[in-house]
Amino acid sequence: MIENFLAGTSALFGDPFTIGIFVFGVIGGMLFGAIPGVSMLTLAAILLPFTAGLEPAQGVMLFAVIYCTGTYGGAITAILFNIPGAPENAPTAFDGYPMTQKGQSGKAVGAAVLCSAIGGVASALVMMAATEPLANWAIRNIGPPEIFALVFFGLAVASSVGARTIWKGWMSVLIGLLIATIGQDPVGGINRYNFGLTDLAAGIAFVPAILGFFAVSEIFVQAEKKASGKYKAPKVSMSFPSFLELWMHKIAVLRSIVVGFFCGILPGIGATLAAFMSYGEAVRWSKNQEEFGKGKLEGVISAETANNAATGAAMIPLLALGLPGGALTAMMVAVFQMHDLQPGPLVFMMSPDLIWIVFAAMFYANLSILIIGLVETKTILNLLKIPFQFLAPLILILATVGAYISRGLVLDVMVMFLAGIIGYLLRRSGFSIPGIVLGLILGKIGEQNFAQGLQMVHYDLGTYFSRPICAVLIFAGVLTLATSIYRAFTTTQKSV
Amino acid sequence: MKRLFGVTFFVATLAAGGTAFAFECKRSEATMEKPGGFPERALTMVVPYGPAGGSGQVAAAMAEAVTELTGVPINRDHKPGGSGTVGMTAYMASPADGYNVLEHIDDASSAHALDSSVPNPAVDLIPLVTSQVTFSQVYIRADETRFTDWPSFVEWVKAQDGKATIANVSKEGSMERVTMKFITDATGMSIQQISFDKGAPRYGALLGGQVDALFEQPGDVRNFLDAGQFKPILTIFDERPEVFADVPTHREMGMDFDPLLRFRGFYVHADAPAENVEWLQWAFQRAYCEDSYQAFNESKFMTVIDSYRDTEGSEQLITRSIDQYRDVYKAMGLDVK
Repeated sequence: MIENFLAGTSALFGDPFTIGIFVFGVIGGMLFGAIPGVSMLTLAAILLPFTAGLEPAQGVMLFAVIYCTGTYGGAITAILFNIPGAPENAPTAFDGYPMTQKGQSGKAVGAAVLCSAIGGVASALVMMAATEPLANWAIRNIGPPEIFALVFFGLAVASSVGARTIWKGWMSVLIGLLIATIGQDPVGGINRYNFGLTDLAAGIAFVPAILGFFAVSEIFVQAEKKASGKYKAPKVSMSFPSFLELWMHKIAVLRSIVVGFFCGILPGIGATLAAFMSYGEAVRWSKNQEEFGKGKLEGVISAETANNAATGAAMIPLLALGLPGGALTAMMVAVFQMHDLQPGPLVFMMSPDLIWIVFAAMFYANLSILIIGLVETKTILNLLKIPFQFLAPLILILATVGAYISRGLVLDVMVMFLAGIIGYLLRRSGFSIPGIVLGLILGKIGEQNFAQGLQMVHYDLGTYFSRPICAVLIFAGVLTLATSIYRAFTTTQKSV
Repeated sequence: MKRLFGVTFFVATLAAGGTAFAFECKRSEATMEKPGGFPERALTMVVPYGPAGGSGQVAAAMAEAVTELTGVPINRDHKPGGSGTVGMTAYMASPADGYNVLEHIDDASSAHALDSSVPNPAVDLIPLVTSQVTFSQVYIRADETRFTDWPSFVEWVKAQDGKATIANVSKEGSMERVTMKFITDATGMSIQQISFDKGAPRYGALLGGQVDALFEQPGDVRNFLDAGQFKPILTIFDERPEVFADVPTHREMGMDFDPLLRFRGFYVHADAPAENVEWLQWAFQRAYCEDSYQAFNESKFMTVIDSYRDTEGSEQLITRSIDQYRDVYKAMGLDVK
């Protein structure tokens, strides 16, 4: 492995043009990843036709690098302005933005930079060591019932995040689940709650909903404070997390790498579920669950470690089996095909050089996040010095463009503003925005896999429990749920 | 070693038979004058699916070929969702000036068959060219031991008493679901269809043994065929394509129904200016002959049978499909509007 890695490194850095492509991918991925709605997918779609003129290894490597750095890019805007660049950065905003409001933006961004790099490098190393056996294990043991059980397990803890009471936490999750049912049902294709609007048949898209619930509702909250004279500009803090602080979170980092990697390796799942699941696990294992959603460093660490850990893992089913884990890895299949190659077992036999250049590039791209992130962070943090009256319209314009551009539908802009208004009202009443977003995103993934799983077990729910991984996850989810309900009752009784 | 031999053999077979359908460019005019200067700016191509899937890729390949041929750039506007209905609605609302074209698949025909208020691609639109036509097959894992061919598969499925599974895209009224109804009616077997809307989980389900079989088109699983991981056991087409000479057709297996084809093509508003439409027909039909497009189609297994239909051929294909779907929907008891 080391010999192959060194050969890949040598091929990557032995040619100035290849180095240029690598640097372009690193910077382009970060920039596009940071722009909400635009995202690394837009960059990848623009670049796709041009990869035909590159060597196969250069083309695939460019996409792999964009995938790594693009996944990190959205964390910065999530932390500083409550605008996640992409759905996989939404959990970063849960605690990252409250940290900014508390004057701890440097700490949050620093942790995001470091943990993105750690998660990405760790998964790149595992990817190099065991791509084929891991891919085969995942597809043999994890099917729709297991993915549904995983989502159920993740949702069971969602009530604890950011709400005034556990009951309001649960209500928030249920609102998210309800929104997730809008549009065609994922198996039969039957329209639900679309009120005859064709555009709603596709459901509520994640990007405008997230922009509305986070960015727009936040502007309303801050505008209200400004109007009532209670507004305080966030303090710009340049202090990064200390080594001791990070060392104290070593278990969270390790757990997030495992969770991120596990989610990333599943075909069709990817970084979004990884970030949400990892955040949920951070809450589950914490002794101070009520601190999440209010500016807890561990929340940022968990989300950012996991979404980057998922990038290397998502390459495993792609390269070993030809199964892309998400939209960007699906585009990589097109890059392979443009060069008369097919990802899958044959590519390991026929193009080992290409594979190791890609592995090496992903490793170094994740290291680049650390270097560039630490250099640029102090400059970026100065954006917080922009006065609110200038910043708010800028954010609204950016969010509006982001909501529109992903599908080119005016409906998405309307959804964003509606989500912003509803989010504002719900926040005033003590409901949890993270809970709603968790319900929305996990609900869509969970429903699809639940329905597919039901078909697979012939509508016999009992059969779910004959699948060991599924049974363990559902049992653990039920246990968490029961504990949460017990806590809700005891808390209510105490307050009475 | 044995597997490697199998793979090599299969790739060699594909190479030999991959061009089974002799390509002949049916649009002879290499150039055509722009009518009144049209188009004097970039065209917009609405694509009702994401950029990474089959539709996204064919749209990119055709746009590139048209630009190569004419020098006119094409901006692709992806509007995914609702099984293509979101993109169709957006397209119908766009100006009918010839600057807006649409990519769509046979889903547009089946949607109209189910609900006549949905645009009919052969009447409300003008097909410029159909550039991909393909058939479906049933696949099993190459290392499967419980059954090895179609007869043994049917026998095994019947013995499972409805518990055997097949992965496909079995949304209501879809080509997959309708064809599976034809198959189950003809064979008397009962099989549970598991609907996966994305390719990767669908193929992974068969590779990992989560399902027993897969219903798919050969171009979409070419890498698994090349790698010797999937094995076709039934071709749903009237004759055996040369490249799949060893695989029986549904008719040979005693199933007497007209196969539904998967097709992808390009359209323009029916009320667009006639001279602009004529130029677009030339551009898209001639672009089909471009080397880059042909190479793309070959990589997608779309040269195994004739993928080309001009406007008239496309209209016939669409109209026949709509009639077929409508008959089946009525027989299935669906609410045909």
